[in-house]
Amino acid sequence: MPEPGLTLAQKILARTSGVAHPRPGQIVEAMPDFSYSHDFAVYAIDAFERMGATRVLRPDRVAICLDHIVPADNVRDANNHALIRAFAKAQRLRHFFDGGTGISHQVMFERGLVVPGSLVVASDSHAPSGGALGALALGVGETELGFAWATGRLWVKVPDTVRISLDGALPPGVHAKDLMLHMVARLGVLGAVYEVLEYAGPAAPSLSPSERFTLCNMSAELGAKSGVFPFDATTAEFLRGQAQFDFEPVQSDADAAYARELTVDLAALGPMVALPGREDRGVPVGEAAGRTVHQVFIGSCTNARADDLAIAAGILRGRRVHEDVRLIVVPASRAVMAEAARTGDLEALLEAGATFMPSGCAVCAGVHQGVLADGELCLSTSNRNAPGRMGNRKAEIALCSPATAAASAVTGVVTDAREFAAVSD
Amino acid sequence: MNLRGTVAVFGDYVSGDVILPARYAFLDPEAMTAHVLEELDPAANERVRRADILVAGTAFGYGTGRESSARALRAAGVKVAIGGPFARMFYRNAINNGLLVLDCPALVGDGVEDGCEMEIDTVAGKIRCAGRVYAVPPVPDLVNRIVAAGDLVAYGRSWLRERARGGPNA
Ligand code: SF4
Repeated sequence: MPEPGLTLAQKILARTSGVAHPRPGQIVEAMPDFSYSHDFAVYAIDAFERMGATRVLRPDRVAICLDHIVPADNVRDANNHALIRAFAKAQRLRHFFDGGTGISHQVMFERGLVVPGSLVVASDSHAPSGGALGALALGVGETELGFAWATGRLWVKVPDTVRISLDGALPPGVHAKDLMLHMVARLGVLGAVYEVLEYAGPAAPSLSPSERFTLCNMSAELGAKSGVFPFDATTAEFLRGQAQFDFEPVQSDADAAYARELTVDLAALGPMVALPGREDRGVPVGEAAGRTVHQVFIGSCTNARADDLAIAAGILRGRRVHEDVRLIVVPASRAVMAEAARTGDLEALLEAGATFMPSGCAVCAGVHQGVLADGELCLSTSNRNAPGRMGNRKAEIALCSPATAAASAVTGVVTDAREFAAVSD
Repeated sequence: MNLRGTVAVFGDYVSGDVILPARYAFLDPEAMTAHVLEELDPAANERVRRADILVAGTAFGYGTGRESSARALRAAGVKVAIGGPFARMFYRNAINNGLLVLDCPALVGDGVEDGCEMEIDTVAGKIRCAGRVYAVPPVPDLVNRIVAAGDLVAYGRSWLRERARGGPNA
């Protein structure tokens, strides 16, 4: 019997592992085209050194971008950063980005370091973000990143691929984040465990690189190995003059064997809020409306790009943040912040009462700053809301789009931005 | 591989952030043991530190990919996590820290309790516990080699040594 065709993910693994027809479930050793890390690189360095390795293979294909605890919060973190800087210099890593440049996933995306058809690995669970540009981007641990630096290879279980067919168009006021919160609620936090989500269907071409990023990024919240938007004219346009590496786009074969196919009708969607505790507790915003909000966080790798800030600024322009709400805005990168300064969105947000923090993970990981008090609720554009995620397990986190976040920051309660726009204009 | 030990049982949807919050991620492994799973409840920390084998429900370790969750469990003396299905980055990180992960959802909630003695035979793919026998799929060869070496660091060390000698990895 002839072998079925290959999916995009299988093709990339075939090229990088030398196994002609990698079968789902099979473990192969693949050679990543590009890898990156952040503050947790200290553990990769430690593993690298304990393995007795002395030289990073292909240092031109390795990046580190400090983003989790920037600027350093204490002596220990400062010393970790210093150790990483020294390692990057000694190993002549081509791409080192110090704290304040931005969140690593965003920086790799906007600087052309993630290219279509490549195998990218990063020591972070939101590595799948790179799928927005047609790469197979996998999250790995820190120890195995050190192993990949030393040996050039990494063990990968060949994934099944699920085809997500996007139909229709998002209604006004409904965003990529709402689509993702809907998908996570529908499938659960292990809904696509070990699988790759390939986004396709008639609506896929119309989504912008930033929206694709949001979808691929939060594929991690479905337990997926990755998410990917196959290369198309939008990808080509975005990367024109930007790509740092030569690339060859890859598409799934017409007769590729998908594990299954899911259809999502975008026209049927509305704004969503994931209730505290787990990412799959998404409900239509109306079911959460009226809950008191203490802090609003517009930030993280999921939703803090220029288009996200523009949506928030569009709602906050000429209005004030509610007196009982702290609005914290953290652009995903310095480049995003500069763009928001050019467009005037930065000014609109500041005048409305937003507090800005340096570009990085900031409040998202609960490592430093923006920690919540007992009993508080933070409405956040980030991707995770497990108990304690923002540093206090007696506080709660709900997830939403930048539009819902901005409207709720004004009213002080969870608010549907669509009604809000209508009644206050 | 044959393993035996005492079991501690945990429920569904224990996230990686709950196993070890990010604020403890830069502690020494030894110091992490005082905090592992305490976010769930203080008794959970004591229970896991007494156990060799962790029985966990669906999605254990989901969410964050920080390796510190797996590292902290290993430092607390856990040698095997069994049950699941497990989140994928937890699976990888555990294996790479020498903590074997076996998917065996049938065993979860099937009368296995804290303090039970469990016997695991990975070659035969059999687990004995509380008078019952469960089947587990074979452990992939590469995973076996990493766990047998101790962890990925030890595996990497011998890999590099072999390459320096001009062996098959050259
Ligand atoms: S912003 Fe949050 S989710 Fe994104 S990389 Fe940073 S900590 Fe992780």
